[in-house]
Amino acid sequence: MSYLRIWLASARYSIVRTLMFRFDFFLWAMVELFWMSVNLLLVTVIYDHTASVAGWSKYEMILLVGTAMLIQRYVMGFFWSNLFEMSRNIRSGTFDFFLAQPGNPLFMVATRKLDPDGLCNSFVALGVVIYAAHRLGLHPGAADLAAYGLMILCGIIIHFSVLVMSASLTFWTTGGDSIVTSYFSLFEFSRLPRAAFKGAANVIFVWLLPVVVVSNAPASTLLHGFQPSYAVWLFAVALAWLAVAIFVFNRGLRRYASASS
Amino acid sequence: MLTFLNKYRHAFLVGLQSNIVYRWNFLIRAFFSLFQLVVVFILWGAVFSGTDRVGGFDLPSTITYFVTLIVLQFFIGAFNEDYQISEEIRNGLINQFLLKPVNYFAYRFSIFTSARLVSGTLMLVPLLILLPLYKSQLALPPFEAWRILLALPAMALAALIQFSIAYCFGMLTFWFLEIQGFVILSMAVEALLGGQMFPLDLMPQRLLRIAELLPFYYQMYFPAAIFTGRIDYARATSGLVIQAGWALALLALTQLLWSRGLRRHTAVGG
Repeated sequence: MSYLRIWLASARYSIVRTLMFRFDFFLWAMVELFWMSVNLLLVTVIYDHTASVAGWSKYEMILLVGTAMLIQRYVMGFFWSNLFEMSRNIRSGTFDFFLAQPGNPLFMVATRKLDPDGLCNSFVALGVVIYAAHRLGLHPGAADLAAYGLMILCGIIIHFSVLVMSASLTFWTTGGDSIVTSYFSLFEFSRLPRAAFKGAANVIFVWLLPVVVVSNAPASTLLHGFQPSYAVWLFAVALAWLAVAIFVFNRGLRRYASASS
Repeated sequence: MLTFLNKYRHAFLVGLQSNIVYRWNFLIRAFFSLFQLVVVFILWGAVFSGTDRVGGFDLPSTITYFVTLIVLQFFIGAFNEDYQISEEIRNGLINQFLLKPVNYFAYRFSIFTSARLVSGTLMLVPLLILLPLYKSQLALPPFEAWRILLALPAMALAALIQFSIAYCFGMLTFWFLEIQGFVILSMAVEALLGGQMFPLDLMPQRLLRIAELLPFYYQMYFPAAIFTGRIDYARATSGLVIQAGWALALLALTQLLWSRGLRRHTAVGG
């Protein structure tokens, strides 16, 4: 309960801060909007030349891309800048500040602020998903929608875990923030349909790394109804990655020796 | 003239060494370009599974286009020049150029060319090592001498355009505290209109005609398209003229921003 109050306080602080730097907010919202449009344009151009990619029609693909965007916007809005700054703070020693706070360090680090621009754009991503569903004539029931929502939540947990793990590497090496940046490249794969992965790519990106299932599972729930196998898979993957992330973070914490000053 | 060149020869040598300073930067970039190539293989492989030709080209020529793009990127692309210039303005490092007979643009450009020469050559190493993996996927157009003769100047002009754009973004530091937002915003535009997301000739013809008039078309797509046979002789020659026009216009803009910016610049400390 007190954690919720802390989180609400940081949310309030972030909104006040955004109101102070309105131009910044506008600029970054535009940046995300531009990148989202670029990805949608890629889909549009490809489908000008073919009717199906790995068995997915144009609007099915847009639904997939929209779902991937939705998860990524939430991650950007809630956690990205906190975890990006975490690796910087570990190196500079400012990380002490979080350890001194009376709460779980990971919680304190991960919820320090929100990025309202990412959260605003999540509505755009949601709009893309709804538009695609409308064009496909989908009428998902309440249960399907609930499953979709839960799967998005699992997706956020998976992204969060990957970010925590990459940022935690800074406890051991100094190249941590470039590894955090690498996260973007990794999740480019989540805009692709699972059936497109064959051979070694199938093993690496579908089975070993969670980047494909994270977007494909919720998207196919909307498209083809609830599939228990996908749901269990996604849930297990989310749990496993979160556990590993917390473990790595805590091991790193033991190594943390602050900075000399 | 000789002393003039000699001056920038030293800057050129500094650029060679800067590759050692930014070696992690290079390695990470190289790694992700290869990663990007995997995305290209998977996506376009899936696209071509339903059809033989997309926009008149088969899968191997499309893959060749993207591989060419990566090579070009490491030879002529601007990496973090905008941030470096921005840093030098903020730290006051540019103050020394105001007192010495060294042109800041020429100094920076010399560093840029030498750094790219090294990064381009280095990038060929992993691409050549991995070549057996994707060799069967490549297809170059039948050899025509004019392609090489036109692609090389197109490459040089593209490098000048890329650097000038990065330089202009660096100059924005005179007016704004942070340039990162602008840089990432323009990256999206450049990725799209420069042909890094898809070969531009796949766009509807009307839009392509508009894109041809913009500078982004010439910073990456144009030389790559000449090399890989995506544009014909007539289009290549007329394109070269527009490209030269953009290079000159952007060059003029860099000088304008520099002189305007310096008026706002207050050198503090020393």
